[in-house]
Amino acid sequence: MSLSTLFTELGSAAKTPTGLVPFRFREVGGDILLTNFLGDWVFVTKDEFRSLARGELDPGTKLHDKLASKNFLRDGLDQAQAAERIAYKKRFLNWGPNLHIAVVTLRCNETCVYCHASRANMDAVHTDMTPEIGEKVVDLMLQSTSPSVTLEFQGGEPLANFSVMKHVIEYALARNRAYGKGLEFTMVSNLALMDEEKLAYLVDRKVQVCTSIDGPEHLHTKQRILAGGNAHREAVKWIERINKAYIDIGLDPTLYHVEALLTTTREALKYPKEIVDTYVSLGCRAIFLRPIDPFGFAGKTAQIVEYDRAAYHEFYRAAVEHILDLNRRGEQVLERYASIFLTKIVADDDPNFLDIRNPSGSGIGALAYNYDGKIFSSDEGRMMYETGDPAFQIGDVFSSTYRSLMKHETVRALVMASIREAQPDCVNCTYTPYCGVQPEHSYRTQGTIFGRMRESTLCAVHKGIQDFLFDKLRENDPTTVEILRRWTTVRARTHFIHASSAS
Amino acid sequence: MSFHLGEGSVRIEFDEGLYPKDAIYGAAYVFIDRCWVHLDRAGDRRIQVTLKAKKPGADTQAFAGEFQNELLGQAWRLRIVEENKKLVEAITARALGGAAGPPGLDELLAMDIGEETAFEDPLGIAMSWEEKYKKKGKGEAAKAEGDASADVSGGEKA
Ligand code: SF4
Repeated sequence: MSLSTLFTELGSAAKTPTGLVPFRFREVGGDILLTNFLGDWVFVTKDEFRSLARGELDPGTKLHDKLASKNFLRDGLDQAQAAERIAYKKRFLNWGPNLHIAVVTLRCNETCVYCHASRANMDAVHTDMTPEIGEKVVDLMLQSTSPSVTLEFQGGEPLANFSVMKHVIEYALARNRAYGKGLEFTMVSNLALMDEEKLAYLVDRKVQVCTSIDGPEHLHTKQRILAGGNAHREAVKWIERINKAYIDIGLDPTLYHVEALLTTTREALKYPKEIVDTYVSLGCRAIFLRPIDPFGFAGKTAQIVEYDRAAYHEFYRAAVEHILDLNRRGEQVLERYASIFLTKIVADDDPNFLDIRNPSGSGIGALAYNYDGKIFSSDEGRMMYETGDPAFQIGDVFSSTYRSLMKHETVRALVMASIREAQPDCVNCTYTPYCGVQPEHSYRTQGTIFGRMRESTLCAVHKGIQDFLFDKLRENDPTTVEILRRWTTVRARTHFIHASSAS
Repeated sequence: MSFHLGEGSVRIEFDEGLYPKDAIYGAAYVFIDRCWVHLDRAGDRRIQVTLKAKKPGADTQAFAGEFQNELLGQAWRLRIVEENKKLVEAITARALGGAAGPPGLDELLAMDIGEETAFEDPLGIAMSWEEKYKKKGKGEAAKAEGDASADVSGGEKA
């Protein structure tokens, strides 16, 4: 019985039993998944769903009890508690942007097939951020209503403008004495320009390091060209060196290590297990199986790197099954997408991951500052500017005030466009309570910030991943469920937080 | 209903009773990067959309189909937004309010308060009621009064 056949069969006899809260449904595996507005979910069998569709729900039945225990029945729903749960999960709305991305240069020493950052050649020093602009970035960042802020250095290759990065870090530390915010620094680097001196500084100033690994060496070096060198070997060498430096200062290596990011290209789809194994061998505990982005140069090189989303799902499933197997054998490693969705699905919380948030983090969760001082609602918005579309520029460090950025009409539009309950498809989608899309993605791929989810590759990815996860929860294998539950526990890396108190 | 107009152009007609005008504008907007878009009235409550491809060799029938699907999505979105207006407004206000916070010292300092502007009172907030309306003719004062009461009843309804 497919759901549509059931309703055709029932015709006008179809009716919802009274007393149910609004819910959405979807066939997953052989059963029917129901979700409600609170984010509670339950699986019912097809027969049980048939009863529901006929309007039958008798007290004392198993189905009635099951629905009651998951807040699907209006009677007995604790409204005060429901309101509290929603407010708690949406608490990020009380604060402004906590992620501030500073593009300290567009220069880069590597050439990548999927480059998102719209790189410039190493001699293009005019694309370096000046110390003055860096200071203004910090001034704006510290005005955020968020009690903690992260300054993320990106490029290009941020190590190519290391002196300004250092200046900005020192300035931020000094300025934050007056603000007392929880302050963190991260740097996204290909590591090829790293040396011992820079490393010592980064470790001393508690700058978290994040790099890119495309998988095994043959794949990585095919996609990332380092003139006169081997991009993979450089990255691996420094990952190992940095991890050792953390151990040397007494940090727990299971929590403190270089984070690496994957960009899944068409070629990568062939190597789900090898990619996972590469990450595990480098000491990474989290793998983010991100599909290719349409931003930056990736748009132009789509014919080389793009692929059908069904192929991506096959890759995702194979990789995560392998990760689950490794966990069953005692290895502690997780997939990041899964952990974001599972935190919402099983841990009843929101991990505040800005791109899968409702509303999204564009502007109100993150800001991106270009090397020249222009400010964007997100790094993706900045990349679009670099490829000729200024739609997401909301100001500049010279003339904008913090409030003018937050109240900018583009930010307002982005918030509205990213509220899932107000979009076709999403409004009826079973995954609305857990989902979120970045409106810049819809704009880039479909020409509208509101997006047409039926044709959205991002929606396809989100739907496919949630189908996979819910199917695992439906199968209810105790070991697997326990592993998935473990992926939702976040251990804070307190060492990286500069918690200076305001004087 | 769509008409092929020869090389690179297609025309589609819509019934305004079925599709709100705002949805048609919304759908048209999505096409402006690929097409020259012209809207016109074809008859009583009928709107005509002409799409002319900017690049040669475009599949205009596909454009017409895509436009119709986009229009359906836009019309639905308008309805959903209408139904969820309060929810969307509440979330948006909370999101933007939380992010922006109250006005700070910087903003107050940045306010343009000079000798000429310091005592400007464009809304007449500092004036008494008599001062505010005595300058106007009787009819205008009555209109102002009517507007105010309309506001009140609107408020009550809400
Ligand atoms: S983006 Fe797709 S998966 Fe997510 S809520 Fe919308 S329709 Fe569902």
